[in-house]
Amino acid sequence: MHVWCIACINTLVTPFPITIQPGIPISDQIVYAAKRAIISGHLRPGEAFPSVRTLSRDLRINPNTAHRAVTELIDAGLLVMHPGIGTVVAMPPDSSPRERTRLLARQIEELVVEACRLGVDQEELVGSIAKQYRLLTPGRLGQAGG
Amino acid sequence: MTAPSIATHLLTRVYGSQTALKDVTLSVEPGSVYALVGPNGAGKTTLIQLIMNLQAPTSGAAEILGLPSTRIRGGVLNRIGYISETQEMPDSMTVAAFLNYLRPFYPTWDHALEKQLLADFALPPTRELRHLSRGMRMKAAFASTLSYRPEVLILDEPFSGLDPLVRDELIQGLLDRIGETTIFLSSHDLAEIESFASHIGYLEQGTLIFSEEMVALSNRFRQVEFRSHESATPPANLPESWLEIEQSGSHVRFKDSAFTTQERLIAHIRTIFSGATEMAFEPLSLRSIFLANARTHRNTRAQSDRGAAK
Repeated sequence: MHVWCIACINTLVTPFPITIQPGIPISDQIVYAAKRAIISGHLRPGEAFPSVRTLSRDLRINPNTAHRAVTELIDAGLLVMHPGIGTVVAMPPDSSPRERTRLLARQIEELVVEACRLGVDQEELVGSIAKQYRLLTPGRLGQAGG
Repeated sequence: MTAPSIATHLLTRVYGSQTALKDVTLSVEPGSVYALVGPNGAGKTTLIQLIMNLQAPTSGAAEILGLPSTRIRGGVLNRIGYISETQEMPDSMTVAAFLNYLRPFYPTWDHALEKQLLADFALPPTRELRHLSRGMRMKAAFASTLSYRPEVLILDEPFSGLDPLVRDELIQGLLDRIGETTIFLSSHDLAEIESFASHIGYLEQGTLIFSEEMVALSNRFRQVEFRSHESATPPANLPESWLEIEQSGSHVRFKDSAFTTQERLIAHIRTIFSGATEMAFEPLSLRSIFLANARTHRNTRAQSDRGAAK
């Protein structure tokens, strides 16, 4: 049964920032927002990820859409499903630097294409990337800059 | 494969000389949320009333829960929920008396759910239905229908004329039923629909223009803008899938309704505007998709009317 109490309200909130924008598939938006929250440390390994029902109620979206997003995050290795407990944020995978770079190849290509189209030179682009890195991952500043 | 919850085949309804609905064939899968959109007078209510057997088709057929619409009665009706914009209710009854009255008719009535809905919707049990506001009336209609856990829920403009808070509460009530209940609704509240409909059907002048998954629909529409220094007017023979093409000076803008990938679209644009630069692609909201379709069809109609008049 649904009772209005502080405890219930707490369980119905999605613990990372997301505003659904029209036009873009909603499950893609959730996947992106969750990835962003995880890499920026907003959601930490072992922390509970909202249930399909919570996402659906909180964001006013079709539970099937929420389910699709959660499944995609599990498939990507960002979340782990513990039967009886729920879904939690996974430990970061042990991947080789080469593997990680390969995963980003397409996005990097797109970024460079877009930068060239807009006339952004390499130095400017690298500068913006570094800035974005600082904004999203303040805790890992040392590693990122090193 | 599971049988569709609702299916129509070449469904047609003619009033005198006017065709309200023409050869509509659609299928609604169990568990989906199918939203029927279209301009006023497009035939949405007619389609819903034919599915509910509130009108007889001129030709074609409709099926609900595997049964021809013209044969729904008794037991099957208990598995269907129907709420229309102009919901008729026994006005002199209180909310509680209304629910007490309905309960024995439905073997699947869920008492706990009824209580939860009354609380969620903040419905005053002792108030007479005639003294309820429009929003409260709709919430009473929702509570009285959702409580028997219908397998199919058919809603004709359920949110029209309601304030955002009531709309949000009703949507919340529907979200909790998604999966176990197939929802078929008509609505103009496109922003609300976009976040929870799984399928969209677009009716225009009695014809079903498209019927597809929400994700597929979002993916195939893009607003496109670019610069072209070649000509001051758009060339003839542009693809039919490019809607609302506008050009002011070197700036060209249109809505692509058959978008697949940026690479392909760029190549396509360059076959027509070889010097196109500064291309930008933006996804479109359901509202913008609706407007692009409605305007395009209105213009096409106006042109064919002018052609016929000559």
